[in-house]
Amino acid sequence: MPTAASWTERPTSRSGRREGVGTAVVDLVTLLRFRARTARRGRARGAIAAFVVLTLAVATVPAWTPHAGSGDRAFNLLLLLPTGMAGVVLLAVTSAVASGGGRELMPRDPGQIFPIGSTTDHLGALVLTPLNIAWLLQAWVLLGSAAYAVGHRSLGTLAGLQLGLGLWLVVATAIGQFAAWTIEGIRRTAHGVPIVRMLTVLVIATAIAMQTADLLVDALDAAPTSPVLIGLLDAPGPRWWTTVLLLALAAVAIVALGAVPARWAGRRLPVDEVELETGHRRPRGLARSPWAALVRTDRASVWRAVPMRRGLLVLAVGPGLVAVLGDLRWDSLTLLPGLVVSGGALLFGVNAWCLDGRGGRWRESLPVEPGLVFDARAWVLAEFLLSASALTVLIAGLRAGVPTPAEFTAMLASVLVIALQVVAASMRWSILHPYAADLRSARATPAPPLAMVGYSARLAASTTVTGLVFSGLARADDWRVPALLAVPFLCWSAARLLRARRRWSDAERRADVVLTVTA
Amino acid sequence: MVVVEADERVHVRGLHVRFGRVEAVAGVDLSTYAGQATALLGRNGAGKSTTMRVLAGVVPPSAGEVVVAGHDVRTATLAVKRAVGYCPDIGGLVPRATPWEHLQLSARLRRLGPSWESRGRDLLERFELGDVAHRITAGFSHGMGRRLSVVLAVLHEPEVLLLDEPFDGVDPIGVEATMDAIADARARGAAVLVSTHLRELAVQACGSVSVLRGGARVASMTAEEMRGEEGARAYRGLLD
Repeated sequence: MPTAASWTERPTSRSGRREGVGTAVVDLVTLLRFRARTARRGRARGAIAAFVVLTLAVATVPAWTPHAGSGDRAFNLLLLLPTGMAGVVLLAVTSAVASGGGRELMPRDPGQIFPIGSTTDHLGALVLTPLNIAWLLQAWVLLGSAAYAVGHRSLGTLAGLQLGLGLWLVVATAIGQFAAWTIEGIRRTAHGVPIVRMLTVLVIATAIAMQTADLLVDALDAAPTSPVLIGLLDAPGPRWWTTVLLLALAAVAIVALGAVPARWAGRRLPVDEVELETGHRRPRGLARSPWAALVRTDRASVWRAVPMRRGLLVLAVGPGLVAVLGDLRWDSLTLLPGLVVSGGALLFGVNAWCLDGRGGRWRESLPVEPGLVFDARAWVLAEFLLSASALTVLIAGLRAGVPTPAEFTAMLASVLVIALQVVAASMRWSILHPYAADLRSARATPAPPLAMVGYSARLAASTTVTGLVFSGLARADDWRVPALLAVPFLCWSAARLLRARRRWSDAERRADVVLTVTA
Repeated sequence: MVVVEADERVHVRGLHVRFGRVEAVAGVDLSTYAGQATALLGRNGAGKSTTMRVLAGVVPPSAGEVVVAGHDVRTATLAVKRAVGYCPDIGGLVPRATPWEHLQLSARLRRLGPSWESRGRDLLERFELGDVAHRITAGFSHGMGRRLSVVLAVLHEPEVLLLDEPFDGVDPIGVEATMDAIADARARGAAVLVSTHLRELAVQACGSVSVLRGGARVASMTAEEMRGEEGARAYRGLLD
């Protein structure tokens, strides 16, 4: 019986070409165009215009404020800039590592039918990195501080410095991406998960030990960012040209280098995801009530998802450690819950109905009051956010001493008010703007990149304001003041949550949400 | 006041479903009786799945009469959901829950008696899912997912069984188990609606066939008339 060759020939045609940098860039542009077409054009243009205007404003306006470039504060800020530049690298690394290699330009499911190479994936993750409020805020803080530190007496220096810092942001992001792919590659090896966990513990322990020995600030001061800043301040002199040229070369080199671990990681299966999807679960008894059954199912959807578990840990531990290392007092700690709760909501809360995946259609056919389903989902979201906040406050409080009654009440009120505020906003957005999202991968997000920027900006603004209010109230003489002032905040958020619940009870609206998230 | 015959389990008259400007269903009439199985056939976008979603209480009708197991789907949605077992067209499973947890959720929300456990185990075995009963469904193949969706639809022995593409990507053993489940449902007096593109399997499982086109019913006939080459020609003629 004649048989055909059982192997494929080595590809020689154009379709079988190896992925080079040129091919990756062409594919990246194609994918970006594709994604841009799926975004609402008016809204996308508005967002890009707002980003450009805000960045230009942040990079210039502080230079014209009183005492910019001359006072003690400006000088101190200049001295702190190298530490700030090092901090940007640290945050870029942490953020990229936590998200398992950065965001996906094309989600995994629809992306699998396209020949997207690992270099394209790597470049896509780099391009998407700035579409994140945490990245944007640190970039704006760096540029704004630099503008205030040098003032406007020499426009050449200001422009040269900001251009150089822009390049530094690119270098920092590329370093973060390189580190993320490397860690992800290690994580995907046979014993990778425990190795990465040990490395994380080691890094944290080292940082705490250095802080205890008063060596951390010295270490940050010794970072090689000071020569870079000195070079950039020479603008437009020869040293500036050399520094900028070196930064540009470093950016290109690190971006190119990042493709190597990206390819290495891309060839391996994500171990923790595979373990989660193939492992057996110990069965539990039947839930005692419909409410308990709904809550149990929703909890499983949250706590068994890799992005949620990893994201929560980073969100809860990171700010707590920063507070410990920075020796923050209780009145400043009231700002932390806002940061943690906003970040937690961005893991799934802003599109809460996507948790069921395509199972949403079956769940919607079950005989249960829609209000009860809404309550269970909101409850599980609140639990998730409160547990993250509690862990952060616990870690941060280790060094802050015993709080006064007013500080304790202000902190408690701040956590509760912000959690309810964010749950109400998230549940409202989940009904008004549902998206189909697969949250299996650590790189997945519950909404498209531009929508995520919008959500994170709004959450950051509202929770920071609330945190500042309670930070002030922590200094009150009477502990009842923050408790009493929390009441109107809680009432307002509860009313918004009830409004979202009424919307969910509308059959047509609910059908729209269910059909969209399960599409 | 809608008039429904005594053994009429699914009563649909002039059903319209609109999503914005798109009319997904444009005047479907349909009746299915106790102990009867009806196949819904038609091209992609004919309105089969949307009709099933309305009958399952997942999507509200824009216009028309829809009565399922004696309950108006618009005013008594919860009662309809209690009476119906629904296998959706795609997915249908919560990705991070195990098959057993799916069964538990359904049992609790439907307030099933303690016998549901043995029935659930038996169904999982019949559909060859017994060894993955405690594995989360995100790692399931498409066929395994379809089989579990059928198990979930029949667990509570519903009065009306709605199976949307139950044979899609399912192996012969799964097809056989689904056929048995349909036959069991008919034998105990349930009305069954099966939406599929697989004509031969549809006529094997059902006694009657309704063909939808452009959101409306264009023909109803016995399954016998849809069988074989002649049936294929007749069906082909109804699609254009």
